[in-house]
Amino acid sequence: MRRGLMSWSHPEMPPERLQARVSEVQAWMAEHGVSALLAHTSIAQPSVVHWLTHFTPYWSEAMMVVWPTGAPTLLASLTKRVHPWMREVGLMGELIMAPRLGQQTAQHLLGRLSPSARVGMVGLNDLPWSVAQPLQQHAPGLQWIDASDGFAALRRASDAAELGLLAQASTKAQMALQAAPTSASLAAQTTAAIEHHARLAGAEEVMLRIAPNLSKPSAWLRVDGAMPLAPRYAVELSLAYKGAWVRWVRNFSADAPPADWSQAQAWWLQHMATPAQNAHQMAAPAVGTLQHGRIELCQGGLPLTPVMDTHTNPLPLPQGVRWGVTSAQLRLPSGDWFAAQPVQWAHGGGAAPV
Amino acid sequence: MSTDLPTARWQRIQQTMRNQGLDVLLLAGNAWRSDYLRYAIDVTLMEGEAVALITLDQAPQVWVQHPTEAARIRAERSTLHVHHAADFQAAVLQAMAQKGSSRQAAVPSSALPWGLAQGPWAQPVEATTAWLDELMVNKLPAEADAVERAALLADAGYAVFAQAARLGRREFELVADTEAWLRTQSCPENFMIVGSGGVEVRGMHPPGDRALQAGDLVTTELTPCVDGYYAQICRTLVVGQPSATQRDAYAVFSQALDAGIAAVRPGATHGDIARAQNAVFRQHGLGEYVGPEYTRVRGHGMGLYVDGPHVLEDVNLVLVPDMTLIVHPNTYHPAVGYMVLGDTVRVTEDGCRVLTHTTRELISVAP
Repeated sequence: MRRGLMSWSHPEMPPERLQARVSEVQAWMAEHGVSALLAHTSIAQPSVVHWLTHFTPYWSEAMMVVWPTGAPTLLASLTKRVHPWMREVGLMGELIMAPRLGQQTAQHLLGRLSPSARVGMVGLNDLPWSVAQPLQQHAPGLQWIDASDGFAALRRASDAAELGLLAQASTKAQMALQAAPTSASLAAQTTAAIEHHARLAGAEEVMLRIAPNLSKPSAWLRVDGAMPLAPRYAVELSLAYKGAWVRWVRNFSADAPPADWSQAQAWWLQHMATPAQNAHQMAAPAVGTLQHGRIELCQGGLPLTPVMDTHTNPLPLPQGVRWGVTSAQLRLPSGDWFAAQPVQWAHGGGAAPV
Repeated sequence: MSTDLPTARWQRIQQTMRNQGLDVLLLAGNAWRSDYLRYAIDVTLMEGEAVALITLDQAPQVWVQHPTEAARIRAERSTLHVHHAADFQAAVLQAMAQKGSSRQAAVPSSALPWGLAQGPWAQPVEATTAWLDELMVNKLPAEADAVERAALLADAGYAVFAQAARLGRREFELVADTEAWLRTQSCPENFMIVGSGGVEVRGMHPPGDRALQAGDLVTTELTPCVDGYYAQICRTLVVGQPSATQRDAYAVFSQALDAGIAAVRPGATHGDIARAQNAVFRQHGLGEYVGPEYTRVRGHGMGLYVDGPHVLEDVNLVLVPDMTLIVHPNTYHPAVGYMVLGDTVRVTEDGCRVLTHTTRELISVAP
């Protein structure tokens, strides 16, 4: 479930840090001859706008416009009555109520730009058609530049404030998983305990997937109705704290855990200590087979984007990555086993759990 | 969930495609707007985007952006052909090209990404969205039954919320108790916003860390989901005994809700329901508080999302049996602050059935 505590803690995310991020974007714009840079936000793709403004729409959608100088403008489909709340939880310059988001964004741009200006957009191809169509119709001469790669390069250089939020998120996620009963027979018992603990700890968002029977080849499932649990099952918890997302996994066994779980855990810790920079270098486990190994980064609109996957996308990690979420699924003699956790890479190599 | 309902929805999609002269339908969704995917292929996304390719003669294919979601959907829906591709838009375009049909359409405009939206399509995306919206608003009886079950869960969830609302507790703690209880009921999703305070409060928002104080109005709209279908309840409670001013103000909302629900019948329009509610405020000299400066809508459809056009005076959607909606005269009252009161209803042959059973009295909780 979603939409827990949404607030802005200035000690944890100083306004000056947000302003510095905007300045980095503005420097990129100047370097690339871009007159304005846009990013759309909704709960589906919130992370670009959150990184620059600390704002996520709990409902509806908004468009952020970064100008060459000053604070970003936000055009939001949300009612004007929540503007005070938006300013309470985020940092923005002009705030415009925009129920016709695409059309009003076009008009806003043309009020300050030449009709053929170069305008960047992070996630250009992902923009919903309900916004893109009127934007295109009302500003037909603008030259659109996909700024996704440029933004991602900036975004990957995480700062201390973000790493602090990630550490908070990581601690809250681990503690919430520890709050789950070890002898649950229904997924609802486990997810309720985790959800309650996480939200009371101030989690902004909680997303849970369950692998209900590890004795069989498993996939993560959504709990939608009654879901019985086998004696061995696993829970994946994705948790956001003030826009910082992490994932953690806990494998549960009603009885003593199988011996191969400790071997898997040893492999995992070793993998974590030297996370692979390339899928081909990912060390094979000493026991069982690796079903997948994955690294996800926050570098665009999605909270976490897979950038490396042993099976589907075996590419080296991009340069300059400071943190990510690693995950793996092993097929052991006793059944399946999962792991996930955030890791932090130091400058010049080496890594540690967040 | 009954297997009949997804099959019935699928058959409606197929029949409408035939009626529209289409043989391929591209249907997009994301973690915010998954309702169209749920309707057509019974899939709800948790992360990222997905696009389904629906034809008249083959099982649906689905391209899913996130590999974990692809594996999940593959495991949960064995009849679908599920693909994962890092560049899933390119993969979809390639598959569309291979179909080679000129009778293709794409939907919905709210979720279809720009990279896939530019066709060429046999009909504009907006037109395709409109006919799919019409299917979703005009519900099958089994869909309305699901909303009824969600309404029962909303009632029970509100009781948990009211129990949690005590002096000194923070807004997000109330939501934590409520959401966790909904999890015990295997509820996968709930939309919920709150407000607390007095005359300074102009609306609701996600929970903050404000602690409840004596005399506060505490508002919420709580919207749990059962089998993909949502129902909503809106209620206001007072921490401690309500003041005479709070009671008097609330009486207007109660009267407006009665008037709105009385207007719900086959043949009436959303506009009729809005006007019935607004007339009560105008009779009490509160006409300025039914406009956009102070409120948003007088209700809205309930289904796999907030479906169809909202309940506003200029909306001419005609009601038919088994439509489901919430009627809520929520707005700001200058004497006490923002108040909410709303019930989910189901249109019947001769009126409507109120699905919300929680008392409509102004609720008082011990401080």
